[in-house]
Amino acid sequence: MGIVRRGWLQPPWEFREASLFTAIAVFFGFILQYAASGQGVPRLYLPVNAIVLGLFALLVLGIGLVFRENTTVKWFGGIPLGLCLIVAIAVLSLIGGVFPQGEVKPGSIWALLGLNQIFSSWPFALTVLLFLANLGISLSWKLVPFSFKNIQFILFHAGFWIALSCGIFGAPDLQRLVVPVDEGKEINLGYAMESNIPQKLPFSIFLKDFTLEEYPLQMFLYDPQIGQPIQERSKAPVLVHKGLKASWDGVDVEVLDLLPFALPDKDGRLHPADKTAGIPFVKVKITTPAGSKEEWITTGSPFVETRDAQVGDVYVGIRPGTPKAFRSVVTVKGDNGQQLNATLEVNHPIDFGGWKLYQMGYDEKAGRWSQLSLIEAIRDPWLPAVYLGFFMIMAGNLLFFWNGIKQKEVAS
Amino acid sequence: MIFDFTTAALAAMACWSAGSLLSFFVRKTPALKLPAFLLSFAGTLVMVAFIASYWSMLDRPPLRTLGETRLWYAALIPLVGFLVEYRWKIAWLKYYCMGLASFFLVINLNHPDVFDKTLMPALQSPWFIPHVVVYLVGYVLLAASSVTAVHNVSLQLRSKSNANGESVSHYLALLGFVLLSFGLIFGALWAKEAWGHYWTWDPKETWAFLSWLAYLGYLHAYRYKIEKGKLQWYLALSFIVLLVCWFGVNYLPSAQNSVHTYTQS
Repeated sequence: MGIVRRGWLQPPWEFREASLFTAIAVFFGFILQYAASGQGVPRLYLPVNAIVLGLFALLVLGIGLVFRENTTVKWFGGIPLGLCLIVAIAVLSLIGGVFPQGEVKPGSIWALLGLNQIFSSWPFALTVLLFLANLGISLSWKLVPFSFKNIQFILFHAGFWIALSCGIFGAPDLQRLVVPVDEGKEINLGYAMESNIPQKLPFSIFLKDFTLEEYPLQMFLYDPQIGQPIQERSKAPVLVHKGLKASWDGVDVEVLDLLPFALPDKDGRLHPADKTAGIPFVKVKITTPAGSKEEWITTGSPFVETRDAQVGDVYVGIRPGTPKAFRSVVTVKGDNGQQLNATLEVNHPIDFGGWKLYQMGYDEKAGRWSQLSLIEAIRDPWLPAVYLGFFMIMAGNLLFFWNGIKQKEVAS
Repeated sequence: MIFDFTTAALAAMACWSAGSLLSFFVRKTPALKLPAFLLSFAGTLVMVAFIASYWSMLDRPPLRTLGETRLWYAALIPLVGFLVEYRWKIAWLKYYCMGLASFFLVINLNHPDVFDKTLMPALQSPWFIPHVVVYLVGYVLLAASSVTAVHNVSLQLRSKSNANGESVSHYLALLGFVLLSFGLIFGALWAKEAWGHYWTWDPKETWAFLSWLAYLGYLHAYRYKIEKGKLQWYLALSFIVLLVCWFGVNYLPSAQNSVHTYTQS
């Protein structure tokens, strides 16, 4: 095209300057991280983080609008720098996406550079901050003067700005506390994931009942020599039902009878029992080249011993099915006297006084007999802002989709 | 089940091969166009019928394991090829698409999937189907975009001009990006309901974010008067990130704590 090659830093700046700038920023971020001896970015809480974010937003919009003709500001809010910062965020995320994040030996180079907690490290924070500045400046140009033609751009970019900035600035305010509560008991303490020191909650939880529903029993052939079930990789767990015929190498098993809730008496005879105490018994007919036999087997429970059927060197056994649903019937009482009766279940959290309560887990060793329910109490005051951003992105995307199709119509 | 997977897969692949073979003669004998299309289309119908019967057998949508998502992929990607031919009169894409679909079926034939009916409680959510379907369709479009881009690159190397092909790969990428965004946000909204937080930098989330960034970068580069020819390389290669996100994450060292590893099969 006959354009004279532009020297380094000679205006108008473009990709070369943008990549240099980005590289320096990331490098500086790692230096900071190292200088802070591996400590991440300081955590700011409400209202300080909201004030800082508000000032930052004003600053970015102000710079964009006041200096919109300045060549450096134009470059700072332009696509080349935006693209380079996207690449930098992608590369840093790649580190977090490939290497396990979490505790490592303190003092190792890994920890000093923050590679084990990349998403709360200085280089990531700096890059995201610069990216927000770049995005914010380009947004200011489309916001003023306002035009409906720009609505798709504004929705998508402002939505991304809001979701990203509020998600990151608001992260320290997220509270996640595990509340372990026993059946028939009440508790108002929660534990943060990494700590054993309980924190007082502004409400108490009383657990009336915990129930666990399971998928059908699973049958397996167990080899005590290798210490685990013999199972072909491609074979699904064998789900037990009456009439089931399953076979493993040379061992054929048929389910003759199935008692979902039963208990043996003193003489070992089986009697139907109620749901809370009874355990499953299965009558199996096992056929091998050596002959065949019939036997009752059971999963066992904390009160009844497990019973497997021995076949030569191996055992045929059953175990409880995987959990299908578990729920806690609770009464939540606020310090202000507010009270709520509810059932907590996975995927069905409840709202209480600005907190969300989740069914998280139970005593997995005890399974169906668990007396313990683990409830997670979560408070995230920034959530509405992040969701506003999400919905703006989706609205912008719908318009993008629509305009894309319309352009196609024009193109053809 | 009405028919087993091996029969269905072989029947579908037979239909696609026969349809493709017939299509080669369409230029000489235009009357063959409809039978060729119907035969290829029948392959996709076989897959759709198989998925439907598989769904009813499992009592849950077959969207849980990677093998199950490959079934959908095999059913849907030839459709993109047919639609592109109908819309832009580009005939070659459907061969790539049917080839890719057959490739996924062959993977499934070699690694029989676990016919596990159980669905852990966190997956029992109204978000399950929209989240996975939006991603599936997004991946299908982006795969087609990438295939088109590879074709465009090969034409470039032979110095043939091909503006039409470049606009096809672009629009497929654009639509794919829109669906990726929806998939990402649906996933976040679901995660809030099921796991308590919308974003935890779980490795799968990180990789989904990375693939989203890759296409976000593409769209901005496209806007910024970068040579369209060079961008075909970018589109062709972006799909690799998506493949890592889709299949590769489970094998990375970071995956040990992922909530998405239930898809390993």
